[in-house]
Amino acid sequence: MKDIIRAVIAILIICTVLFYVNNQLNKSTGRAGSDTISVYNWGEYIDPELIKRFEKETGITVVYETFESNEAMMTKIEQGGTSYDVAMPSEYTIEKMKENDLLIPIDHSKIPNLSNIDPYFLDLPFDPGNEYSIPYFWGTVGIAFNPKLLDGQTFESWEDLWDPSLKQEVILVDGAREVMGMGLNTLGYSLNTKDEHQLQEATDKLKTLSPNIKAILGDEIVETMRRSEAAVALVWSGQAADIMYVNEDIDYAVPKEGSNLWFDNMVIPKTAANVEGAHKFINFMLDPEVAAQNADYVGYSTPNENAIPLMDPEVTADERFYPTKEMRERLEVYKNLGLETLGRYNELFLEFKMDAQ
Amino acid sequence: MDRSSKLSKVYLALVFVILYTPIFYLIFYSFNSGGTMSSFKSFTFEHYKAVFADTRLIMILINTVIVALLSALLSTAIGVIGAIGIIFLKNRKSRNALLSLNNVLVVSPDVIIGASFLILFTMVGVKLGFASVLISHIAFSVPIVVIMVLPKLQEMSSTLIDAALDLGASKRDVLSRVIIPYIKPGIFAGFFLALTYSLDDFAVTFFVTGNGFSTLSVEIYSMARAGITLTINALSGLLFIVTLLLVLGYYFVTNRTKNPLRTGVSK
Repeated sequence: MKDIIRAVIAILIICTVLFYVNNQLNKSTGRAGSDTISVYNWGEYIDPELIKRFEKETGITVVYETFESNEAMMTKIEQGGTSYDVAMPSEYTIEKMKENDLLIPIDHSKIPNLSNIDPYFLDLPFDPGNEYSIPYFWGTVGIAFNPKLLDGQTFESWEDLWDPSLKQEVILVDGAREVMGMGLNTLGYSLNTKDEHQLQEATDKLKTLSPNIKAILGDEIVETMRRSEAAVALVWSGQAADIMYVNEDIDYAVPKEGSNLWFDNMVIPKTAANVEGAHKFINFMLDPEVAAQNADYVGYSTPNENAIPLMDPEVTADERFYPTKEMRERLEVYKNLGLETLGRYNELFLEFKMDAQ
Repeated sequence: MDRSSKLSKVYLALVFVILYTPIFYLIFYSFNSGGTMSSFKSFTFEHYKAVFADTRLIMILINTVIVALLSALLSTAIGVIGAIGIIFLKNRKSRNALLSLNNVLVVSPDVIIGASFLILFTMVGVKLGFASVLISHIAFSVPIVVIMVLPKLQEMSSTLIDAALDLGASKRDVLSRVIIPYIKPGIFAGFFLALTYSLDDFAVTFFVTGNGFSTLSVEIYSMARAGITLTINALSGLLFIVTLLLVLGYYFVTNRTKNPLRTGVSK
């Protein structure tokens, strides 16, 4: 009995000490202030230095939390019980969140830095007039490839993936819209098409790719490509940047037929407790200097026009990640297709996946 | 030494090698200056420095340990009382019913438990955070503790209690001087099992974290999206050392008792 009591006391003492240490850490990061905002962002998607700087400049304490999928983030916000002030969903989730009435309109008069954003990235179909969302990062869907494993083969067209020499070499990302979009783009159709005939044609085209497919994966693609275990992959440009950061052999290309343009955006969820602070945070992130530092850290493309001159010219001149205006004209943003058509996309994608096995 | 015992020793060694290799492999690369786990360049402490420089990560680590210790402590207390209650139930039917209910909780998937807790907490209006994580960790640890303690109670002969009562012990004395000391190994085993369950639980915690409170498993999961960095290795190394110290502490405590009844801490 005695040693049980002793053990209990020891555990309680350890917990108290840890609580105390945590509190001290809280204070040292200035978290004890009354004015706080909570930010809900993707993992590794902001430069931590910038949070510190924001806290110093505004006196607002930032409680920072991370998520790893749009769906998980949306569920947490929908269920309530949390009080996130700023979140960074992707464009298709913003549409869903708008439909479910989970967002608060953004007061543009409080975001003067919005003028730094390239108008090209504003007023897009998923959120006309940027009523609810402000662009954070953007990118494309394209092909990451390892020329070393392919004797210098390049990928200018989606058709190149069908090359017989790539037997069992191609990895696809496990996303219905990405893969179906690739099929549609290859045939010169819009990746927002609702035309059943075009969809069927695209699926048939995709099925002929089957012999070349090695696997259909999620985020594991990054690790596989880094280790040079695969030669070609259909990826988001963000993933490509992650891969290239470690493995310098890898190259990335957006095929000439066109592709998808994706966005992660800052929004203010319905659960927000400090709307004023949320606006300040969004405005802060749009400051050219801040945006430049953040893009430098994260490695994704910034929509901030005035940040680009402050960044390493070698990065911003890289047309793979900062495509020229002319190249961007071929890119398309996903439109909300409605449940029915989306279901059709998923169905056809499944059909293709089963065929690929 | 005969052949079969030699063979069994080799087998045992092999099992341990398989169990420990991935952990040591991970820790080994946490000292790699190369930045990836594919090739070892040179020895460095930079990843550990990166962990300690990131106060947010340290706070999450401390949170994780606090939740683990407190939830294990409380669930052990509840579980021991529950196990004693179950064993002394006179009615065999209700005893079996209680035991089955307990077992259902042990085998039910974490995802379901987590999702139902999320719904419960938001319905009742509990803010997601420290309290919600602690409560749900206690909830899934209690049945485990009950299962660890029950065999010890069943093994204990009822004549021991009769003898104590005959010799004039009060009911309280019987509990604190006979039953608890007898089932102590089970209690410690239950505590440590609850501790490890809490430390590595992802599925339940994932649903109930929020408002700036997060644990390591959830944090590592969202970090891993951008590829496993060596910071995660360093962090895992640190956590391994923490658990190692806890287990050493456990042996220190059990070795000091006069009757060194030991049970293995299993996972």
